Order: sequence, then C-alpha cells, then structure tokens
Amino acid sequence: MTQGNGQIIPPDDARDAILSSIRHSLKASVPFDADWREHHGHSNRLVAERTAVHAEASREALIENFRENLESVGGRCTVVSNESEATGHIRTVIETSDAKRIAISDSELVKRVVDQGAGTEIVENAAAEYLFDCDLGITSAQWAIAETGTLVLESDKESHRLTSLVPPVHLCVLRADSIRQTLGEILELTSRDLSRTVTFITGASRTSDIELTLAIGVHGPGELHVIVIAD
Amino acid sequence: MEHLTAETFDQNARAAIADPVLHGALRNLADNFGERRKVAMASVDDWEGLREKARVIKEETLLHLDKYLLQFVENAENAGVKFHWARDGQAACRIVLDLLNERGAKHVVKSKSMATEEIHLNEVLEAEGIEPVETDLGEWIIQLAGETPSHIVVPAIHKTKAQIADLFVDKVGIEKTDDVDVLTRTARNILRRRFAEAEVGISGVNFGVAETGTIVILENEGNIRLTTGLPKTHIAVMGIEKIIPKFADLDVFLKLLPRSGTGQRLTAYQSIITGVKRHATDEGPDEIHIVVMDNGRSRMLAHPVTRQSLACIRCGACLNACPVYQQVGGHAYGSVYPGPIGAVITPQLIGISKAKQLPYASSLCGACREVCPVKIDIPELLLHLRAEITDGTAGGAENNPQRKRKFVESLAFRMYGFAWSGPLSYGLGTKAARLMQKLVVRDGKIGKASGFMAKLLPPLGAWTAWRDAPPVAQKSFREQWRDGLKANDGNKQ
Repeated sequence: MTQGNGQIIPPDDARDAILSSIRHSLKASVPFDADWREHHGHSNRLVAERTAVHAEASREALIENFRENLESVGGRCTVVSNESEATGHIRTVIETSDAKRIAISDSELVKRVVDQGAGTEIVENAAAEYLFDCDLGITSAQWAIAETGTLVLESDKESHRLTSLVPPVHLCVLRADSIRQTLGEILELTSRDLSRTVTFITGASRTSDIELTLAIGVHGPGELHVIVIAD
Repeated sequence: MEHLTAETFDQNARAAIADPVLHGALRNLADNFGERRKVAMASVDDWEGLREKARVIKEETLLHLDKYLLQFVENAENAGVKFHWARDGQAACRIVLDLLNERGAKHVVKSKSMATEEIHLNEVLEAEGIEPVETDLGEWIIQLAGETPSHIVVPAIHKTKAQIADLFVDKVGIEKTDDVDVLTRTARNILRRRFAEAEVGISGVNFGVAETGTIVILENEGNIRLTTGLPKTHIAVMGIEKIIPKFADLDVFLKLLPRSGTGQRLTAYQSIITGVKRHATDEGPDEIHIVVMDNGRSRMLAHPVTRQSLACIRCGACLNACPVYQQVGGHAYGSVYPGPIGAVITPQLIGISKAKQLPYASSLCGACREVCPVKIDIPELLLHLRAEITDGTAGGAENNPQRKRKFVESLAFRMYGFAWSGPLSYGLGTKAARLMQKLVVRDGKIGKASGFMAKLLPPLGAWTAWRDAPPVAQKSFREQWRDGLKANDGNKQ
C-alpha cells in the first residue's frame, strides 16, 4: 500500500505497527487504571461471567409467545397441526398474494409441503436474476426465538439467503420443536456447529429513515408469513 | 457542497439554531426514539446489569486488544477471509481501491458504515471513476443530495419529507408526492438494479467475534443482506475496537444495541457471517476481505478515561438524549460522528487542535451517560479533553491564539479551587469578591450593562454577553447563620 509520502509499506508492517501501537498505549495506561476503576466503582474482576439462561416453557407456551412477538412486529403467524394442513395454508397464501412465480429453498420440509399447483411456476434454489422476478419465496428455518419472534436460518442446513430476501413476500415453514424461548439459548445452539452464514429475521423489511415514519418492505420482503407445524 | 468543519462548531451551531426547517425535522427525535427506547428497555429483566456486563466485556477486550484482535483474524482466516491492515484512513481507502481495481469493478454497492464515512471512502473512489452506490435509504438520500450523515443511525434525520420528495423529483424524475411509501418504493426499485449489476459489496461491521472469527451486522432494510450476499466480492471495513471475545457475548450486545438505537427488541435482520462459502455452488460471495483499521484508535487506549471511547457500539442513544444535539442537529459538529459521542471521538481522531470547540459543545447535563448502553462516562471524557486544552497539553498549543484566554481561565479556576479549599480561604474569597464586584454590578446584577470592567475578565465577559450573573450576596449564608444563632440565643434568654 502507498502512504502519504509515496513510500510503499508492506501489509505485514502495517499489522505490526498497529499491534505495537496497541501494546504501547496499553502499557502507558497502567499507572492510571486502578485509580480510575475504583473511582467508577468498577470491580477489578475483568472477566465477565457468561451463563446462558435456559427458560423452561411448555411447547404450547413457546408457540404462543413466538406468535405474539412475531405479530407485534407485523409478521403473520399460523399454527397448523400437520404437514398436509401446512400445504393447504401455503396454497391460501399463494392465492391471496396472487403469486405466479415462486422460489423455494432446498429444504426437504419445504419441498414436501409445497405442491405444484396449476398456474404457478416453482423453482428450487433459483439464481439471483430469476429471484428478482419472483412473487414469493418459501423457506424453512432451523430455529426460532420466542421472546423476540425471530426466525433463525443456517446456511449450512438450508440455502436460504436470497430466497428469504429478494421476493416481495417471504413464507417460512417451521417445526414447533425448533422454537426456544431466549436469544441466549439460540446463540448456544447455533454456535455448536456454526454455519458460514446465520441469518436472524424478525418481521418484514422496514425503515424509518424519512421523518422517522415507518415504511415496510424497503429492500427485503414487505410481508412475512410463518407457518408453525405443531405435530 | 461544502461541508462544515469541527473547528467552527460555535458558528455552525448558531446557524443551525436559526434554521426553522431543521427544527421541524428534528422535533420528533427525542420523543419518538426516547419513548420507544424506554419501552424496549423494559422488555429485559435487568437492564442495569446488562449494561454493566457489556462494559466489563468491552473493558476486558480493550485491555487485551492485541490478543483478541489476532485471535479474531486467525479464526476468520481459517474460514477463508483475507485480511488487510490499515494504520490510517488513507491507507484503508487505498486498500479498498486496489481491491476494486484488481477486480476491474465499476459497479459497487455499499451498506451503511460509519467507518467508511470516517475515512471518506466514497470521495476517494469517485475521484478514481468508481461510483459506490449507498443502498441504505437514508444514506442514499444524502448521497443524492451531496450531503453527509447528520445522525449515526438515521443519516437523513435533518431532512423533511418535502425536501426528500423534491430531491427525488429532481434527481430520479418521480412525480411530486408526500407519501413515504411511494418514496421508499422508488428507492427499492432503483436500487434493485444496482444490486443486480454490482461486482463488489462494501459493508461495515458491528461486532467481530474473536472466538469464531465471525462478523455480525445489524440492519432493518435488507440492503446489508443484499450487499454481503449478492456480489461476488464482499469487502468489510472495521475499526480495531469492534472485537468481542465470545460468541455468547452477542447475547448481551444484541439485546443492548437495537433497544438503545431504535427501540427495537431486535432489528429486522442480523447477518452472522463466518468466512466464505464452503462449495462453489453455495450461496454468497466467492471472497471476503476485511480491512482492519486503526486511524487514531490505538492511542485512545493509553488512558482509562479516553479508552472508554472505544467501547462505543454506535447506537446513537446519546444523540437522541442530548439537549444540544436536539437543537443544533448533526452537521454543526462538522464530523461524521456528531452528538455527545462525536464531541469526544472527533477531537481524538482528528487531533484536538482541529476540534477545540467540540469538548465545550455540551452543558455536562449527563443525559448521554444515563442512556449509554455500555456506560461510557461522556461528561468525564469531555472534562478530560477540556483539561487537555486548558493545560496546553493538546497538540499545537504553542501557536494557539486562545492560549492567553486559556491561561486566564486556568488561573481563575486555580484561584476558585484555592478559595473553596478551606473555611478561612472561603471567607476571605467571599469578602474579596464582595469588594471587587462593586466595579461591575449594575441594578443589582452582573449583566451586559456591567460594561467595560466585566469585559476585562474574559470568562465573565463571555458569560454575561448572553445572560446575567448573580452578584455575591451582601451577607453570606454563613454570616446570616452565625448572626441568627446569636439572635436566637438572645431570644431564649
């Protein structure tokens, strides 16, 4: 890279210079540190305790809490008791949103519950160019967080990134046993086998950038439908 | 458009206060965000405990930043990320420019990033014929207007709906409208084409997890997911202070940041990215580059007071709470970081001699400290920086035209300190003040009418140019108390 004086500095030198500047500054701070911590009432214990909170809740309570919080951010949630009911409800969403071109992820669950209806074109793992012309994207989710109404999608389990994002409507089919109460539990579960990309989705795409007025569906979907299968 | 500078805060602020359109735009800020934040805060059990935890995690990280930074880099490299180190903004821009040129990239999409604003990346790229398209709605608006962001979270907060509509009529040829949904849909449709053609996406980073080499980015619109997911190359620019040690620490920061920033329990999307895709057929970019930037940050580690600045998670809560920001808006600070946090970060980043007025752009009311999710003591930092200015330890003090005034101010405070140091000196001080003030008291107060003598004492002159100062009472409370006791004693007898 080139510095202001035109001298070429190899990248490793920049790394070493930054690290040595960090170490130099930290050393200079030492004489002031203890006094300052005392002044602020900070303990000298500098390692935070990290304990994940596991909430005990019944399946029904988890579903209800998830539904309530999802709806509070504008998502629509339907609880069904088996996969064939899910298929029926997906058909309703397709009809009411008048979707002609539908993108689906590679999730086995999604492939099972979406049927090839008349007058619709369904493409699995569609390319980006195709997705821009789709009316509906259907994915599953690996986990959900009840306390925030959040869907959690793991890229190593499901190719979800664009299907859940590009079409104007996103429909997600979720198994009830993947719902957990807290964010902390979900962070622990996803970290066990961390996917290359984990996406948290809470409601539809939104902005308040113009006069702090809420507008839905900026770059992502303007509608989010979730079907929870409670079998 | 010419941008305001931090050196002229006083002038900028006066102009802003006289701007009724700006006041209209800012009027909802405190109510809207303040109320939403309170509701969101109440949805966690122990908000105070969470803040304390966040602060301890940040302090722990900063005290071992070299170790955690290297751990982050090593883990991300193992997952296929390429790293680039930049000592300053110029170097960071150069790295990004080289990466773009090597790939022959002409179409670049950007998601909102304070780090890239800080180094003025867009100007550098534009000068080289590359047009980086801002895709966050607020950032796109100010890019169209040729302006800079005036808020960390809501970049176009200073603009009214009508101004934005006029801008869209002028720049992208829509019909005049006052419908926010129409304006938003316009941005969506235009920017979709930009996403589709982009070869490279540039983003910032909210958190870098040392333990896993993960970067985490929060948003509401979906443009960050598109920027990091669609183009073949993803470049992320991050300051060295973005590191947190453990993946589980996200539990703390993902609770604090959305609640403090926008009053949400979670923003609509979190992208949690650990390295490049495993197989060529997987989704996502072929390559990820992370530019790790110092740009004046490492020297803030050299004192516990200044080190706090690096705990900031850029939520913007201190801006929304600040009575000064609410009146003058973001541009008056003349820096990409406005408000209370800007008043402490900017002088440290660009050098205190270039931003001497900013540490004084505060009434020290402490509202910023109250709302800060990582418990940064911003008033303490402001005082620390003011002390650097008056002590003349700040850079360039020798040629400082304000130096004489600072000497008088410094002397005045030393005398003040002495007067309050014991009962005897206090009593003497009061008597002396009572005698001296006869020269300046007019109609029972020290004000504009006090004239010439008040101007001789510079701090007094500056104060009384705008308001009256109360004179020292003819009989102090201590004297009244003493006399009263005697009188009472007399009554009893």
